[in-house]
This record gives sequence, structure tokens and C-alpha cells, in this order.
Amino acid sequence: MSKIRETFINFDADLPSPTPDHRQWVVYTCKRAGAPYKWAGYLEAPDTELALQYAREHYGLDEACIGIICHDHTDGTDGPYGLEPLLPGEAHGDDGDCWTVFTLVHRGGNHQTAGNVKAPDADTALQRATSAFADGKIRSIRVVKSDRIYMTNDDESPIWPTHDMTYKLAKGYSKNVRAKWARFRDERTYEQYRKEDISKHF
Amino acid sequence: MSGAANPVMPSDITINADPEKLAEFESRIADGVLIEPGDWMPDEYRAMMLRMAEHHANSEIIGALPEGEWITRAPSMLRKLALTAKVQDEVGHGQMLYRVSQELGKSRDDMLRDLVTGKTKYHNCFNYPCPTWADIAMVQWLIDGAAIMNQKTLADGAYGPYVRTMNRINMEEAFHFKSGEDMVLTLMSGTKGQKTMTQQAFDRWWPISLMFFGPEDKPNAEELPPMKWRMKVERNDSLRQRFVNRFAPAAIDLGLKINIVTKDEKGFVTSTKPDEAIKLDDSTGNWSFTEPDWDEFWRVIRGNGPCNAHRVALRRLSYEQGAWVRRAIANEEVAVPPAA
Repeated sequence: MSKIRETFINFDADLPSPTPDHRQWVVYTCKRAGAPYKWAGYLEAPDTELALQYAREHYGLDEACIGIICHDHTDGTDGPYGLEPLLPGEAHGDDGDCWTVFTLVHRGGNHQTAGNVKAPDADTALQRATSAFADGKIRSIRVVKSDRIYMTNDDESPIWPTHDMTYKLAKGYSKNVRAKWARFRDERTYEQYRKEDISKHF
Repeated sequence: MSGAANPVMPSDITINADPEKLAEFESRIADGVLIEPGDWMPDEYRAMMLRMAEHHANSEIIGALPEGEWITRAPSMLRKLALTAKVQDEVGHGQMLYRVSQELGKSRDDMLRDLVTGKTKYHNCFNYPCPTWADIAMVQWLIDGAAIMNQKTLADGAYGPYVRTMNRINMEEAFHFKSGEDMVLTLMSGTKGQKTMTQQAFDRWWPISLMFFGPEDKPNAEELPPMKWRMKVERNDSLRQRFVNRFAPAAIDLGLKINIVTKDEKGFVTSTKPDEAIKLDDSTGNWSFTEPDWDEFWRVIRGNGPCNAHRVALRRLSYEQGAWVRRAIANEEVAVPPAA
């Protein structure tokens, strides 16, 4: 153990002056080719390069995935979270920039990519996305300008492909744990048998 | 080490919200509708939810400290990999929970400063020492096991961002628990010395696990805001009973003895005697047990536990040592970093 962890530290000076929070990023991962990108979590980073690096290091290592995208939290615009499933609207059009649409199936669930719409601004994008993707099964829509979404890799090859990650999955231990419990219980049964055998017969 | 959210929540608050809006809010919660960030919520709900998420986030990053100390001393490469991954998970959980808290209105820097100056708390169980590898096994088996039980109920709460974060976290907690169970099974299949070490660690961590869920709730807890607003959905005592029902028979199967212990001020056991209360009540299906020392619980929560000062000091050191990095990556002017 390092000395710093063994030694008690006294602080005489005041805390350093506050540091501003870095930008908040929302991260989505894709588990297999053709599947949507689903919300994975958040991270804090000052710029795109570090955000992608942190996303890869953290969420890429969390679970096997073939792609990670992220966007600055402030670049996302969420529509209302409906108490009832959203019904299609009537706003249509194909002018403006490309916006990526994320849908939320139920409150408390995770947003996932659904497709794209074109629109001149976020509010119009939300309306057009509602027309295109609200099918009576989703509760909310998020739109993010597509050029504000950043991707770690687009070749659909696994991130950390050489990494055996079974050691960090519950199922990676199941077989071993089951075998060890079986041995314990077998031994206990045998011990009981041996004691009873001795006391009753010898 | 996992940090489930178990702050002692205030229950005697005055609610100053618009009665009509409050009634609608409470009716939604009663109907099982989850609250999302854009929804109207009483200020008191926001404040309590922030307190709960911040406490949980603090627990995750403080909880990484005792286990982090053991990465370099793990007994095999596999255990080292698993422990490194687990510590990374815990810090990642902190990352997500701080984000949930930020959305409720407090900056991350304010939260980190409040943590290192003692204005906010973290889970009590992280104020105890982990002197042996068996303590790490016990933490993963008992504390992470308790955390899963608690957090599964929290994932059934009412605040959407916290619920989705809990679901994500619980997936990883399952690995922590299973890894811990494997470690305990390995140690209890080992030499006499390893079994003794494991029993000693179990003696240290069993009472802490019982305290994990917090003290008994008030009799009318269901009518008070934390439960009425589904910030928590199960009574502390009920969770504790479920924990004992799951872990007491498992410990006995493994050959561990469940003892009542006394401890010194450093958290080390000074005496043990068998807990005669441990037995299965066939009529209820519940295991009876001796309550932990609640005086100790309050002593530790007030800052007088074996490791409170050390944990906060280490966290403060990280905060101070990391300040120049935070400034540098934000393109701010930086001074020479302070010496460790």
C-alpha cells in the first residue's frame, strides 16, 4: 500500500478555489450491428476528444459493444414526457439540418436512436420527429443535431476486441460458484453421514 | 464497494407547494407514474431527491477507496483484473449519480467540496477498515449483496433519472456480488489460516451489514414524504430481514459462525460470542438475529468511526491534487501542483 494511504494527512490551508464543472456528455452504446444505440450513462469532459476517449475507456469496457456515440447534454432537446404514449403529429417537411431522433418507450427507461428528420430548428425537429416516430408506443422524443453527435468508431468492430471481459460479468462466475457450493454441500452431507454412521454403527 | 443510498432522510418537513399541483403530483406517484426532469415537482421533493442522489454518489466514490488500496495486493491476476474493474465501476456509478444530482440543481464542484469539508455525508459502512484480503471478499459478498437488495427497491422508485441509473448500476452490482461470493467460497475452501482470516473478516462485517439498511423507520413511515413520494419503497427493517434470510443460512453452510462482537475504536474485534438468536422461525420463514449496536451506528455517522477522517482526508487530497489537472484541461491558467 502506498505511504499516502497509510499516513494520516492534515490540511492546514483552505481548499483551492472552485473549478467550473466541465461539459456534461450523454453516452449511448450499440451492442450489435444494426441495433439502435441505447443510453448508457453520462460523463464529464471539457471537449469532444476527451469525451470520446473517456466514453471508450469507461463505457466500452463496461460491456462489449461495437459503437459508442455521445453528445453534449445541452445539444439535446427533449420533448415533453407524456403520461400517455405519444400519438403522431402532422408536422412534415424536409428542409433544414439533419437531426438524430431518440425515443423513450417508457418513463424511467432509456432513450435509443430511432432515425433522422430534417428541420431548421430543434422545436420543428421535435414536431417532425413526433410525426415520423410517435406510433402510440413511445413516451418522449429527444432530438440532437446530427453533426453534434460524435462517434468513437464507425467500422462496427468490437471496442476492446482482445479483451476477455467474463471476469467482469456475473455470469463469468456462475459456473465456478455453483461448483464450489455443490462441493461444500456434498462435503457437509458426507460429514453428516459419517457422524451418523459412526454414532449408530461403530 | 457499493454505496447504496441510505441517508437518514428528514421526515418532519413542511411542504409549501401549490396544493392542487401537489395533489396531482402525489396522485401520479400513487399511480406508479415516474417523474421526469421536466415535470413539476415540489421543491421539497427536489431537495430530498438531490440529498439522496448526492449521498449515493458520494458513497460510490468514497467506497472505491478501501478497495482501491487492495488492487496492488490482489492474490492473482484474475482477482486484480476483477477488482480493478469493480473499482472502475464504482467510480463510474459516482459519475452517473453526480450527473443525476447536477440535473437537480447542484454543481459537481460544490458537491465534491461539500464532501471533503464534511458538509455532506456518505454511507456509514465505508468508515471501517479492510485489513485483509478476506475483508475485500466480505465487502463484495455482504455489502454489495446488501446494496443490490436495497438498490433493487430504489429502482422501483418514482424519479425517472434515478431509476434508470439504478437499473444500469444494478447490472454491474451483480458482478460485484458474484465475484465476492466466489472469493468467499475460495477462501472457505482453503487452508485453516485462510478460514480463520475469513471468519475474522466476517465478524467485522456482519454487524456492519446489518446496519447497512439504516435504523428502524418511524411507525408511520409510509405516510411520510420519503416513502409517500416513493423515494424509498421498502422499510429498512424489512430489507434487513430479507438480507438476514438470504445470508445467515449461506454463512452457516460455508462453516462461518455468526457472532456478536465488540470492537475497539479502530474497528477491530476485541471479543466474540455466538449469536444465540440466530435461528429459523418455521412459522414465519424468517431468521431471527441480534440487532447491531445502534450506538456505534450513530457514533460513526457523526464522524467518529475508525476511518472517517482518513477517508475524507484521502478524498480531499485527491480533490486538491487534481485541481491543476481540472484547470489545465479546461485551458485555465495553472500553478505548480502541490506536493503530495
